[in-house]
Amino acid sequence: MARLVVMGGGVSGHTAATFAKDWLGDEHEVVVVTPNSQWNWIPSNIWVGVGQMTKEEVVFPLAPVYEKAGIDYRQAKAVSIHPEGKDDSDTPYITIEYTGAGKEGQTEEITYDYLINATGPKLNFGATPGLDEGHTVSVCTADHAVHANLELKKIFEKAKTEKQKILVGTGHGMCTCQGAAFEYIFNIEHEANKAGVRDNLEIKWISNESFLGDFGMGGLHMKVGGYVVSSKLFAESLFAERNVPWIIGAHVNKVEEGKAHYELLDGTTGEEAFDFAMLIPPFAGVGFKAYDKAGEDITSKIFAPNGFMKVDADYSGKPYEEWKASDWPRTYQNPDYKNMFACGIAFAPPHLISKPMSSPNGTPINPTPPRTGMPAGIIGKAVAHSVCDMIKEGENAHLHEASMAEMGAACVASAGKGAFDGTAAAMTVYPVVPDFEKYPGTGRDTDYTFGEIGLAGHWIKHILHHMFIYKAKLKPGWTLIPE
Amino acid sequence: MKQEEVNFAKSNSFNLTMIPGGFARKMRTCVIWQFFRFVVINLKMLVVVSKSH
Repeated sequence: MARLVVMGGGVSGHTAATFAKDWLGDEHEVVVVTPNSQWNWIPSNIWVGVGQMTKEEVVFPLAPVYEKAGIDYRQAKAVSIHPEGKDDSDTPYITIEYTGAGKEGQTEEITYDYLINATGPKLNFGATPGLDEGHTVSVCTADHAVHANLELKKIFEKAKTEKQKILVGTGHGMCTCQGAAFEYIFNIEHEANKAGVRDNLEIKWISNESFLGDFGMGGLHMKVGGYVVSSKLFAESLFAERNVPWIIGAHVNKVEEGKAHYELLDGTTGEEAFDFAMLIPPFAGVGFKAYDKAGEDITSKIFAPNGFMKVDADYSGKPYEEWKASDWPRTYQNPDYKNMFACGIAFAPPHLISKPMSSPNGTPINPTPPRTGMPAGIIGKAVAHSVCDMIKEGENAHLHEASMAEMGAACVASAGKGAFDGTAAAMTVYPVVPDFEKYPGTGRDTDYTFGEIGLAGHWIKHILHHMFIYKAKLKPGWTLIPE
Repeated sequence: MKQEEVNFAKSNSFNLTMIPGGFARKMRTCVIWQFFRFVVINLKMLVVVSKSH
């Protein structure tokens, strides 16, 4: 019997663990280590953040689902990886620290034959002074979104009688996940109109993107109204139509009560006052340590400096002009330890997708690559497939591939939630990582990269919400639902 | 006054982009048209999903 340990129970880890258990059956063991007791459909946190959904609608408890699936669930955080075992044993293991189930604080060693790192990001609020001191809110978790809604409602109440300022965007020059902030600001704008307080709200966008619509993907060209246009025009149009001015190329370097300080790509600095701010924090790896058999620290061998795990990508650090789609990983296998994989946000991207930029002061200001949602699920499934084949056919089994340079992504950014009011931007991009050798102008296939605004997007977002929660609960037919 | 005139006038940044006119805005919430687009977008997304696996 082989044991697969999956660290993380988010979109990627949950997908990997559940498919692996389904394919391996009872002959082999699948263990999930995650500090969370609940699974969260993160895209719908946006609706929780404006009071259009409750927390209970976007989360469900993991324990009964894993019990039904026959997965060994440990509500704990992984602390360290020991891929060579220790003095008296060559069996690799991880150390964990329990966070729930009455075992809080207890530690344990779990041996493994195969390890999948799907821990997702550490929300690195500490990277920006003041960002973790309660001056701003976030929608990164369901609890954060509940809090954001409570604060937003106070602002709406005040806006009935006085002007209020709302600032939404990224809280650091190296943030990713602009899409979540993008969706949140338009939901706020929509709800403000519904509440009749829009005229008393000054809503402003602040982002590390060098142009609106970069989204950490270097922007995209999409078919709109028969034209192929840059996402810059598409995004600017959305902001202008909704009377939302923007500050771009901004590294928020300090947050105080009611005020965000920032540096721009041209080197100038400024500050923006707010009564309510939702600023996305930068992501980092969760901060594992790794040790060899002798107990020597090998963290820098396994992980990139940002804390994400190295996989089969080109990390040579070559200049921007030489970047290629083929630099991106295909199998997500660690180059040093062949029984270790990373998927979702946990793998280290070889380089940015957006063009690297910095201010004259040397401050890097550019979005980092998105690895959430559809790509995270697809990669998790491919990695699970590889591990299952290695378990069944031996360690030289063919590995399954899921390069982000050959993979598309669908994104629906809502503005409102109703079936007949509000509108959503439905977008697809193919491939996620542009391939300028194949598509020299735009880097992407414009037949499959498109964007459209309308109610249809709303309906799709509702369907995705219910479909993916249904799938994650492993209800009948769940394996037929694509990632 | 047309809505787009109001928004174009608000700032230079707004003035240099595109803003939908009344017809485009109407079609975004026209249930019959949006049902058709719903089918089209879903089909396109299914193609992207199938190409990604």
